[in-house]
Amino acid sequence: MMFSELYSAYYNAVAAILNEAQGGAISDEKLREIIEKHAFTESVLNIEPALKNGDWPLIKDGISVLKHEPAMPLTTIQKRWLRAISMDRRLKLFGDDTELFPEVEPLFTQEDVEVFDRFLDGDDYGDENYRENFRIILDAIKNRYPLRLKVCDRRGNRYDKIVRPWHLEYSEKDDKFRLITSGKPYPGAYNLGRIISCKRVNGRVSEASVDMAGTPDRSVTFELTDERRALERVLMHFAHLKKEVERLGDNNYRVTLHYDGDDEAEMVIRILSFGPVIHVVEPKEFVELIRERLMRQRSV
Amino acid sequence: MAYSELIKNFNRIREYMREFYVYGFKSREQFTVGSARSYDNERRRVESWLGDCMSFRRSPDGKNVFFSIDSRAYYHNPLYKAWKAKSFTDGDITLHFILMDILSGGQDVLFSRIVEEVDDYLTQYGSDKMFDESTIRKKLKEYVECGIISMKKEGRSVSYRLCEASDTLSDEALDFFSEVAPLGVIGSYLLDKRKPHREITTFKHHYITGTMDSEVLCELFLCMGRKCFATLKTIDRRHGEEYLREIVPLKIMISAQSGRQYLLAYSAELGKITTYRLDNIAQVKAGEVCPEFDNYREELSRISDRIWGVSLKNRGSEELERVEFTLRYSDDEQFIYRRLLREKRVGRVERLDKNSARFSCEVYDSSELIPWIRTFICRIVDVHFSNQELEEQFRSDLLSMYEMYGVGDGE
Repeated sequence: MMFSELYSAYYNAVAAILNEAQGGAISDEKLREIIEKHAFTESVLNIEPALKNGDWPLIKDGISVLKHEPAMPLTTIQKRWLRAISMDRRLKLFGDDTELFPEVEPLFTQEDVEVFDRFLDGDDYGDENYRENFRIILDAIKNRYPLRLKVCDRRGNRYDKIVRPWHLEYSEKDDKFRLITSGKPYPGAYNLGRIISCKRVNGRVSEASVDMAGTPDRSVTFELTDERRALERVLMHFAHLKKEVERLGDNNYRVTLHYDGDDEAEMVIRILSFGPVIHVVEPKEFVELIRERLMRQRSV
Repeated sequence: MAYSELIKNFNRIREYMREFYVYGFKSREQFTVGSARSYDNERRRVESWLGDCMSFRRSPDGKNVFFSIDSRAYYHNPLYKAWKAKSFTDGDITLHFILMDILSGGQDVLFSRIVEEVDDYLTQYGSDKMFDESTIRKKLKEYVECGIISMKKEGRSVSYRLCEASDTLSDEALDFFSEVAPLGVIGSYLLDKRKPHREITTFKHHYITGTMDSEVLCELFLCMGRKCFATLKTIDRRHGEEYLREIVPLKIMISAQSGRQYLLAYSAELGKITTYRLDNIAQVKAGEVCPEFDNYREELSRISDRIWGVSLKNRGSEELERVEFTLRYSDDEQFIYRRLLREKRVGRVERLDKNSARFSCEVYDSSELIPWIRTFICRIVDVHFSNQELEEQFRSDLLSMYEMYGVGDGE
């Protein structure tokens, strides 16, 4: 059962409240703080009175009536999901302990599910050197220390660089991890598959130095004609981006997408892929990028 | 009925979430899913769960509500919150915490003892609430079925104990798989029990739309695990119709480039393997075990190298559809050749010389390749479809684009 109160924000909030109210009386302020953290905006209007007026007779005078910390064992569906995860080739990146609930059937296997349009040159998760680098990077991010990377760029040139690891970025389409490093004026991004080695260096990565990569700093606006189910196809395709959609007429829409400038070439070809149902109208520079490709195509 | 931010049935909210997230241009009046009052309630609920992600805009049609989410900026899929809004009764939550507490000792506890202890908790509290034996038995049965407690029968006496199991997955791994694995919301349920920790991974090209179909996906996986028939209730949104389909679910196909999820299934009605979109499935009901399951799977595996995406449209016609195109690129555009190699799927790539390469493939439905071929516009030297209609469409679309952007005379 996927949709169950056992997993609900309310049960989680009440468990946390009962936990807090185990040793002594919980204050109203703390109770509300927990509700806000674990549940939704309006939940305090329901949970607080229910606990106080005895509809849920679990707290008396601010103290939990339970004798133990609230327990919530794993459900079968959770165990079966974890079992399925244990069979994923990417799990070994995170550690060697990959034996999860061998006594249960996996919820799904490789035979049950396939990502059919993933690129074929994804990272080699089975490579020991890759795994070792991955774990060092993971540790550096967690413990906030700099690394000296030895990298091989796309032209085959090797270079060393000291970086301040901030987080990893994974692309499901590319099936690749990138290390995003903090720094001013520009943060950096390194494909893990291109990192030959990495070593800890002295120092500390402070939060103040962070400037996140991948923030949408550009936008493109196009008009869309809803032919051949274009509206649905286009909006699903760009669903992961921040966007605004406006209906212009019965069959016409205006869509603005916000994207990271580093991904401009990718945005151009993704928009081209929809053919004449999309007409880019702004900004001029983007329209020019499309025009330029069409002009080159016409002259081929 | 009074408004509550919790809901009994996820399907009620599924359509609204989809509209707010994927489309986001409809005003209250343009929603056709339910009544105006139901729109108000659902919008208020979604706002309570996901207020941070919601935006509003005034248009001539009225006020539009939509999700404004750049999924790259999130460590966790915000839409999972909707799955944590299941309603329950006062009795459900009271009994839950008391039963878990009674069983927390790690021992088998007799049913009769459990009934007494539940009474003790309520008496000590001074509550006038009472639970009869059948309510307690029903709740325990429910918990045995979902695997959090086990039951032991000895003669006429029945006892229960808590199932002790903890997962050893690291926080970082759980964060990662709750975003990238199918049914990631289950990982999110597990994360809710963890202590706060530093999140490590963000996600690019991350589609979260499929979240809304998690219940359907889970049921389909369970059917596949049992190798059984299923009855699907499918929705035709255009005509507002619902249909029942008898099928054998064989495989889930997920697109990393649109987030769409599909089911490939043997249709008993059509007598062949066919495709269903998960967001068009309202309900899945498991049936009997299908003795032919392995044969259908084998058949699917045999034909999989003739499917570009998920379409089996022209299967049954004698010939496969052939597509071939040649690209020309400059010395400093060798990445185009590499693109062909990594994006070719079931096709073949042949390097003709240092600056040109040819792609070819034979599939059931070559129309699925057109969007991809268009991504190479400016380098396409020639393109041929065995399906003449498609070739004409491709060329006329290109002419329309020339015209649209004022390139040449568009002729």
